Amino acid sequence: MLPFFAELVSTTDEDRRAFETHPVIVDAVAQGLPLERYRALLLELYHVVWYFNPVCAVAASRMGSTAQDALQPLRHFLYEHMQEESGHEDWVMNDLAAIGVTPEATRAHAPTPHTLALVGYNHWAAAFRHPCSVLGMLYALEVIASVYGGPFASAIRERLLLDGDAGVSFIASHATMDAQHMADLRKILNRVPQDEAARAAVIESARVNFHHFTRIVEAV
Amino acid sequence: MTSITPGVGVAGLLARPYKTLRLEWTSELSQLRVRTGVRPIPCYTLSAMAELQQVLADISANPGLVRHFVLSSDVPRVFSFGGDLALFVLLARAGDIESLQLYGRRCVDLVWWMENAASLGVHTTVLCQGDTLGGGLESVLPFHRIIFERGAQAGFPEVLFNLFPGMGAWDFTIRRAGFVVANEMILSGRLYTAEELHYRRVIDAVVDDGAGDAAIDATVREIEPRHRGTLAALRARRVAAPVQQASLLSIVDHWAESAMGLTNRDLRLMERLARAQARKAGGADEGAVEEIKRLELELAWGDRRTGVERRSGWGADRRTQT
Repeated sequence: MLPFFAELVSTTDEDRRAFETHPVIVDAVAQGLPLERYRALLLELYHVVWYFNPVCAVAASRMGSTAQDALQPLRHFLYEHMQEESGHEDWVMNDLAAIGVTPEATRAHAPTPHTLALVGYNHWAAAFRHPCSVLGMLYALEVIASVYGGPFASAIRERLLLDGDAGVSFIASHATMDAQHMADLRKILNRVPQDEAARAAVIESARVNFHHFTRIVEAV
Repeated sequence: MTSITPGVGVAGLLARPYKTLRLEWTSELSQLRVRTGVRPIPCYTLSAMAELQQVLADISANPGLVRHFVLSSDVPRVFSFGGDLALFVLLARAGDIESLQLYGRRCVDLVWWMENAASLGVHTTVLCQGDTLGGGLESVLPFHRIIFERGAQAGFPEVLFNLFPGMGAWDFTIRRAGFVVANEMILSGRLYTAEELHYRRVIDAVVDDGAGDAAIDATVREIEPRHRGTLAALRARRVAAPVQQASLLSIVDHWAESAMGLTNRDLRLMERLARAQARKAGGADEGAVEEIKRLELELAWGDRRTGVERRSGWGADRRTQT
């Protein structure tokens, strides 16, 4: 029997590739984005990143009880992950400031329906579907960051003539950090119980996250 | 999962709705031509390999139906860039050796079918009309007849990012062209023109750009009257110069272990190649081939100037390095 991580990778491979091969993504990785579109993308990312930890918290609060704690390793993983991700919305805000969007404008930005759909699904799935769905969210977002973030950050730097990490610190740093995160995530995903509902929730969530994230980038 | 519908004939063979393949049947020659069309970056994705495996399974399940199998690409200027680089980066970063082994074994399943095609009564021909890199070149080496158009280039660049071609390159290149050529190609990572590959006996024929389809037709019509004798001779060739499945699978395991040792720098080089592929997919004139040539130059000049690799840290400003 395949480890669950391997099953997740192969089952969601076409969803990942649908993101990777979308013409907007291909073009962005090859040539970067114009300034206005990059600003628009970061404004959406601000909301995705802001709600990341609250969604994880909802999921963690539903992972087991004092009477039955099979999901303890997953819950503890979420605690650590939330600690690491704490404040990362400020990195996005700093990048926006570096390219001319004030913090006030960032906070005032109303996210697109695609971002609302992504955040809304993740919250609903964690609260009502299955708490393990949060791992599907983590998987999709960390694949996008660690596999595509590096080339995308390079393309943006070149296109917008940015110095160092100014303006791309969030995407560039997550491309590097999420390398280690991927290894940790694989280990924790292989600890998802052999429970059909839990595993189906992870797979569904990964697919939905790839889908909505593609729509977010497509719309900018 | 591969499903098999035995004995349904040509109609059944052609009826499946493939996303990455286009099938054409020439009844006069019992020829099945498969055109691959993974877009925008033609490579061996998991689903593309699954579809190709389905075609081969259907051929196996209908003995005697297909006498000639022809493979080419539907994507202009590219036959195949080889492996799914983004998937490799994902799995390497995740430390997922099992998935890498699984991927490698699926590749071996495909080349192993080609290797045994003569035993199934099938003669195989492949036409490369564009860039054929890494696993893309590996995938064509087991074919009975390899035709390149003159503008196509090919090679095994994997060593440039500290990997190697792990799905048949060694076995099939040694058998086709000898150990010295295999050594040169795999350990140098350099790219070769169609003429250079032909000179080294890696491929069988070079034709002018645009003349590939006619060359396929000529090849198949040449083989057809002596189909049985040709396949008998090719089966005997496998006895004289066998490629062992165990060897292919063992090398896959070595390859997966090597992938586990890829550093961030190596993965960045792979990402750089993927970006170049994306640029060409977007219509740029330059793509992976040109990027590989740049990499070769950078690595060569780095060695010559300092005796060690110039870039110790990815992204470091060269002006500040002492």
